[in-house]
Order: sequence, then C-alpha cells, then structure tokens
Amino acid sequence: MPCAGKLRGSRVRCRSGWSRLRCAGSASAGAGIVLRRQGAADGTAGLLPTGAGGLDAALGGGLPLAALVEIHGRETRDAGAVAGFALAMVALARRQATVKAPLLWVTAGETFPEAGSPYAPGILHRFGLPPAALLVAQGRRLEDALWVAEEAAALGALSAVLLEVRGHTPKLDLTATRRLHRRTQAAGRPLYLLRHAGEPAPTAAPVRLVVSAAPAAKRQILSGTLAGSIGPPAFTVAVSRSRLGIPATFTLEWNDDERAFDERRSDPGGAQDHGALVSAAADGTYPESAAGAGLALRGAA
Amino acid sequence: MGVADARAMHPGLDVIEAEPEADRRLLESLADWCDRYTPLVALCGEDGLFLDITGCVHLFGGEQAMLDEVLERLYSQGFRARAGLASTPGMAWAAARFLRPAPIEPGAEAPALSGLPPAALRLEPPACKGLESLGLRTVGALMETPRGPLVRRFGKLPVMRLDQALGRLEEAVSPRLPVAPLSVERRLAEPVVLEDDIERLLLLLSATLKADLERRDEGARLLQLALFRVDGAVHRLTVGASRPLREPALILKLFREKLKALGGVDADYGFEMVRLSALEAAPFAAEQVDLAGESKADDAGLALFADRVRARLGDRSILQPVMVESHIPERAVAFLPFTGVIENVGRTDEGHLARGMERPVRLFPHPEPVEVMAEIPEGPPARFRWRRASYRVAGAEGPERIAPEWWQEREEGETRDYYRVEDDRGRRYWLYREGFYDEGETPPRWFMQGVFA
Repeated sequence: MPCAGKLRGSRVRCRSGWSRLRCAGSASAGAGIVLRRQGAADGTAGLLPTGAGGLDAALGGGLPLAALVEIHGRETRDAGAVAGFALAMVALARRQATVKAPLLWVTAGETFPEAGSPYAPGILHRFGLPPAALLVAQGRRLEDALWVAEEAAALGALSAVLLEVRGHTPKLDLTATRRLHRRTQAAGRPLYLLRHAGEPAPTAAPVRLVVSAAPAAKRQILSGTLAGSIGPPAFTVAVSRSRLGIPATFTLEWNDDERAFDERRSDPGGAQDHGALVSAAADGTYPESAAGAGLALRGAA
Repeated sequence: MGVADARAMHPGLDVIEAEPEADRRLLESLADWCDRYTPLVALCGEDGLFLDITGCVHLFGGEQAMLDEVLERLYSQGFRARAGLASTPGMAWAAARFLRPAPIEPGAEAPALSGLPPAALRLEPPACKGLESLGLRTVGALMETPRGPLVRRFGKLPVMRLDQALGRLEEAVSPRLPVAPLSVERRLAEPVVLEDDIERLLLLLSATLKADLERRDEGARLLQLALFRVDGAVHRLTVGASRPLREPALILKLFREKLKALGGVDADYGFEMVRLSALEAAPFAAEQVDLAGESKADDAGLALFADRVRARLGDRSILQPVMVESHIPERAVAFLPFTGVIENVGRTDEGHLARGMERPVRLFPHPEPVEVMAEIPEGPPARFRWRRASYRVAGAEGPERIAPEWWQEREEGETRDYYRVEDDRGRRYWLYREGFYDEGETPPRWFMQGVFA
C-alpha cells in the first residue's frame, strides 16, 4: 500500500502523530482509505460525492461515509423513491469499493407489508446490486431492529446499513440515534436511516435529506423523445440539515447506464410543471456539475 | 363400578376427572428430569420410562447406588416410583413391576422371570387370561411349553416378549430426544441462580467441549444448553451456528443473545446441573488469516453477527434473496435464511436480468386490489384508487404480458398485463390487470404490485 504510506507521512506531520489509518473496503475517492482521528473518520476523505454538483456543494462535498444519514419520505407511498435514493448511494459507494461487501436492510414490524419488500430483480436492474449483496433483517419490534442496526453498524464486513422505520417512532430519539451514529463513525460505514411518514424529530444525524419522487423525463430515442414513456427515475432531494446548513432543493436523475446521478436544471415549481421538466431533459444536454451548483442554489433561495 | 355405586358405599368420595393429557405432560417432564442420568430416555406406555444407562453407571457409583438414588430422589419429589435394572428392557420392565428394586445380573433373567405371572411379559390382559386358563400361570411354565402350539394359539407376541426379556432377541429402545454426539455437563453442589454464574459455567463447559471437538477435528453447528432446575424443571436453549464453532467466547456470545431474547431464564431455586451438548457437528476447517487479518476475518464476523441475530430474533430474522426460475414476479425471488456465506445460488443469468425488463425496487408480496379507470378497456389506467387515495396517471408504459405458468400443477390465476405508471407527483407504480374483457363472466381486476424508485 504505497499510497497509504505516503498519506500517513503527511498526516503525521500535520497532526503530530495522533492520527491513524485503516484500510476500509468502501471508502471514498478511489483511495479506499478512511482517515481517522481518535477513532472517528475525519476530513473530506470520508465523504461520498453524489455526483450532482449542486447537492454536493450544499452538503459540503457529498454525503458522509462514516455517519448516520437520515433520509425522510413524507408519506409511505414515497417509499420507492426513498429506498431508491439510498440504494443509489450504496451503488455509488460500491462502484468505488475494492471489496464488494453486502448491504444490510433492517426493518421492524409492518414496514415491509406497508411499503413493499425489497425486490432483488428491480434492485439489480436499476442499481446493479446483485441479490448476493443484499441481506434483509426483520424484527418484530422496533427495539429488535434497533439492536440489529446497532450491531451491524459496528461491523466492518458490511458496505452499508439501511434502517427503515415508519410512522412516529419515539424510541428512535436523540440517544438512540447518537449510539447509532457513534458506532457508524467507528466502523467507517454509512448507516442510512429511512423514515417514512414520520414527523421530523431531533436526531444525532449530521445530515438529513427529504426525498420524494420527481416526474421522470421521457425516454430518448433517435428522433427525440418517446411520447408517453417513463424515463430514468428522478428524485426531488431537499437538504433539511447538513454541515453547511444551507437549505436547498434539487432534482436528481439516476443514470442507469453510468450508474450515477445527474442533476436536472431545477426551476421553481418544476415538480408540478410536467412539460417544462420534459423539455429540460429533452434537449439531451444535462447541465455540467459546476453550472448546476450555482443554478440550484439560486433556485432554492 | 360406576361413580353412583361408589358414592353409595362411601358418600364422602371425591371424584376427579382423568386427565390423560396432564398425565402425559407429567411423564414428559419426569423424562426431562431423568435426562441427568442418561441421554437415552424413552417413554414406556402411560406410566413408565426406560433409561438406557449403558456406560453411565460408573458416574453414580454402581448399579445399586444408581437405582437407590433415582428412587430416593423421585420419592423426595413426591412420586412413588418402582424401578428395575436389568440387561434387557423386557426384564427391567418386569423387575420394576414385580420384583424388589435390585439389579439383575446378566444371565440371571430366566430364574428371575420364572416365578412371575405372564403379565410380566408386557402382554395384554386377554392374552394373560388365555394363558392362565391353560394353566400357564407363571413365565417359568411358559418357558417349558413347546413353542409351536403356543404360537398357533396366541400369536407370536408371547414368545417374542419372552425372547426379548431373556435377551435372545434384540430390542431397541428409541430415545425421545436425539442423542448428542458430544456433551459435557457439570453437577453443582450448590445450585446457581445468577445469570453471571451460568455464563461462567458455560465458558468452563465450552472449554471442555472445545478440547473434545478439537480431538475430532470438528466444530459444533447446533448447540444446546440444558439447565436442570432443583425442582425438576429442565430448560433447554438451542442455538445454531452458520459455520462450525469451537471458541468458548463465541459460544457464550450466542447463548447470551438467546438468554436476552427469553428475558433470562426462570431460575427459581436455582440450577443444580448444567449440560452443554453439540447436537450437530461438522468438520472444522482451520483457517489461516492473511498478514493483516482482513478479508477472512470479516467474513467470520458477518457469520457470527448473523448467528447472533438468529439466536435472538428467530431463524427467519436475517434473510438473503435468491433468484428463482419463474416469470411470476412474486415467485421470482425467494428469501432464504442467511448462512453467513455470500454466494450466488439459484439463477446465474443475472446479467440478462440486469438488462431485461424494468422491475420495481419494492414489491408487495400480496398484490393489493386497485380500482382503475381506463380510457379504453384494454388500455393503460387513466386514474386509479389505491389505499383509499386517488391518483391521476401522468404517463404509462406497457403492457408487459405475463401468462400463468401452465406447466405447474394446479396452477391458478390468469394472464396479467403489467403497466408502469407514473402519477402526477412523479411516483412510479407497477399495476397489472388480471384477465381479459371479452372472456368470462367476471370483469378483469386491477392490482398494485410494486413501486419503482
């Protein structure tokens, strides 16, 4: 690991010796390294860029890799979009990882019957995550699911943990989420907390996104767009809490072929105006990442 | 004699209904208690137990001492028990019922039996009566009678029972619980109550078990901890391991989860004996880790994690999806218990699936009925109602037709036409219409099967 050696040298110089390095499978930036200080992942090395410039800028570089990340869905019927966004992030991390570790999806009670169980063919088709990379744990009560998530969060052999809860969950309070967050930090793996139809409650998660579905663009064919078709999935992502504290809303589109997010030029009220969105994507020129950042921030202001 | 007659003779008589079920339960719990003497305990009729004590006698200081201990401890629990000890089940049965409790030496069966009535041969009362009516009032007389006529008159049973009692014919006693290939136990002078003490004992036992397993080059796949309470109740905790296990610390971890799941065991007056058995063992592959101790250890960590989840939340609490060869969406994936090994089983044409038709990321295992309005009967939906909310359809793709699997026996269901539907808020759903408009009396029905990302 010549790369790690070099990095260690530079870290030791600037941090006077109390940093330590550890090789982690699903770390970011291609280096496969999570930097830790006093047991917690440190610096921008622990960020996973979403690939959408505006969202990354609002998040200060991307979603943290070693942290509890809260993803809210306003209603249970948004469960497809919420789970899709989390799976997309897992797929992004997996693309860069050297060791393809599995993902654990934890839930309790009636969440799966209400919101739908994970469907492996769809997840494979959309996000390229094979069935062997998916583990599903189900507890009867929320306490069971919390216990499983806590144990799993500290486990290095998983690429990510998805903890999915539905409705009002008083048990998932500040203390419980802080426990989850600390363990996640120690393991250097993300834990995505998916909450459906719940009031935003105080948690220890440094990042909270509100995700819902956005109307998809039409499919592209040689002669333009195909009328009445449904193109790649689109998400409306609102940053409700982040390190930088900039509230903003973005519309992302998942690119199946490249397995990456593209940012769609967001216009106010775009979610309602179907036609405008279609024409935005119809010209086939997706905005550059750098341009997208400025535009998106202006749109959100 | 009827109850009325008995009451006429003794007016103060109490009548208690017979409860064969309760009797059975009591006998079962007694059998559990007897597990301390030998793992081979079998039920015998409605009122007896067979204990195969081969190889266990020396632990209790000889046959007579063992017999005395069993009787004494049963007496102190309030049971009036009779016992016999012999080399054959038949002889022991007879000794328990007709002789004083003393071991019968091997070879001494014939003299011991000869003075007993035919009932000592485990025969039904009519058969005994028949034998006695011929003047065969003792087993000794039966032994001297020519066998041919006896078989012709009474069937093979009396002769067979006689041979079994005398050891001329093998008789197998089938134990009520599977016998563990390996088990270690500890009898305690002072009963333990605290969970910490039980855990410490478990560590000691598993250290002994580890030595045994190492000698056999095996690891345990299924472990059982039996806690024998002072009052005779027996708690059995079973945990499974996805890979062969030896380390006492890991074994303790699994049982700790099990204990937590049960909310602790009811110790009451304490446990006087603890036994740890490896119910299933498998070859143990010693692994060498690489210099960094990385990848392999990660795998083992995941397997242990899965075992702990299973021990605490039940067998089907951690699952892995496996592709199944089927076109019907809800059948295309089976959830199998995760075994700790990440591997591809089932379908191997995942590449084909990845490029094939679009499938939702979440599926409702039981499709939910939807009310649909379509512009033309066979067309895509224009509006629909699902879970008491109405949706306006902004775009629809389809249909994708999936026919029932006619090659399956007793296949029911109709042809389904699937549509990908997007509502005006951008949520994407997977709806299907079952059946056709022009066929049959019942109109086609619509169902919601899944949601897309």
